[in-house]
Amino acid sequence: MTRTDEELVARSRTGDVDSFNQLVVRWERPIYALAYRVLGREEDARDVCQDTFLRAYRALPGFKGQAKFSSWLYRIALNLCRDWIRRQQRAPVSQMPEDMDPAALLAETEPAESIEDLVARRELSAIVAEAMRSLSEEQRTAIILKEYHGMTFQEIADMQGCPLSTVKTRLYQGLSQLRRQLERRGQGVAELVKRT
Amino acid sequence: MIETFECGDTGALVAYLYEEGEPEIREVIAGHLTRCAACSSEIDGLRLTRQSLQAWVPPMPELTLQMPVPTPARMPWWRAPLPAWAQAAAAVLIFGVGLSVGLVRGDVNAPPQEPSPQPVATTTIDTPSRSDLSRLEQRLRTEMAQMRTTAAPPVRQASSDDDMMKKVEALVAQSEERQRREFTLRSVEMAREFEAQRRIDMATVRDTVGQFQGVAGTEIRQQREAIDRINNFIRVSQQAR
Repeated sequence: MTRTDEELVARSRTGDVDSFNQLVVRWERPIYALAYRVLGREEDARDVCQDTFLRAYRALPGFKGQAKFSSWLYRIALNLCRDWIRRQQRAPVSQMPEDMDPAALLAETEPAESIEDLVARRELSAIVAEAMRSLSEEQRTAIILKEYHGMTFQEIADMQGCPLSTVKTRLYQGLSQLRRQLERRGQGVAELVKRT
Repeated sequence: MIETFECGDTGALVAYLYEEGEPEIREVIAGHLTRCAACSSEIDGLRLTRQSLQAWVPPMPELTLQMPVPTPARMPWWRAPLPAWAQAAAAVLIFGVGLSVGLVRGDVNAPPQEPSPQPVATTTIDTPSRSDLSRLEQRLRTEMAQMRTTAAPPVRQASSDDDMMKKVEALVAQSEERQRREFTLRSVEMAREFEAQRRIDMATVRDTVGQFQGVAGTEIRQQREAIDRINNFIRVSQQAR
């Protein structure tokens, strides 16, 4: 039987760690994706994701359910992202184990997607990521919450602490700027959109 | 209530784009879009932009975040159960003490001695009666039996500890192997992405070089034309003289 977030939160507040771990499994990917799109680096996003759940776990006794659990998590993650952007820390890069054969594993994990499609997708993804970086933090966050996390205008307004009309303005101006950036790239982007 | 929409109301257009807001006003906007080319073009452009945004997919690593289960508070040493070897040692010690007491008090199996001419009070103090010794023997046997029953489980515990340790070692080995494998898979994925990025970069570099060559070619052509014009001017001047 699948329990709701509210039920799992109530159990977690009584010290049931398994219930909280179920919440982690349910929400770790959306939180990671949010952090990645805001920060742009995989390692940083992973760290922020982990910190988000640790903070949520510690702050759980103070969570009275006045907002949705997911909204509360998103808010923690966004605050951490903001701190992370300010600090601009960098994590060390790890190395490949010596006794592993990358070629064998590559053959084993060869995807169905052709390299051309992969290149097209990656190229468009890189173009979009670069265009997103040109937006202000508020515009970028509003677009990410709307496009990739399906929040309503009101939820974004609550999350960003601004009026609903401001959210609409941020979305419109952000999308318009993205549109100009992509149009500047010309016909190539339209073809990539078709291909992906 | 009659819903109105003013052409160029970007807030209303964004709400229409994301299918939020009242259905009445959305119908009004939909009707407006059939008549207004500017608003219609704006909406189409924003839709295409939204479509492009869907291509931005973050790499999704294998996330295995787990909150640590809190460990129970440690018992004070004097309340903690003794290990098997300590229980066995205690049993041996108690047995030894009991045996010593028995030996000090005399040979239990010796035949009863004739009553001595010594005073009765002294005899009752120095030599225990047969019934006393029997009770002591019985008590020691009972205690030893109890010690055997309490000392036996720790032996089984020790063997179950070994099994548990083997299981834990096996689990740790499996976990390490899985982590190594995941790490390598991730590295391979990164290598693929790196290759894709390299191709993109190469294409960008080719474009840039092509543009640069185009610009440089234009400049050279313009310079040649300027030189030709100067040469013509000089030639015409010389001919005029």
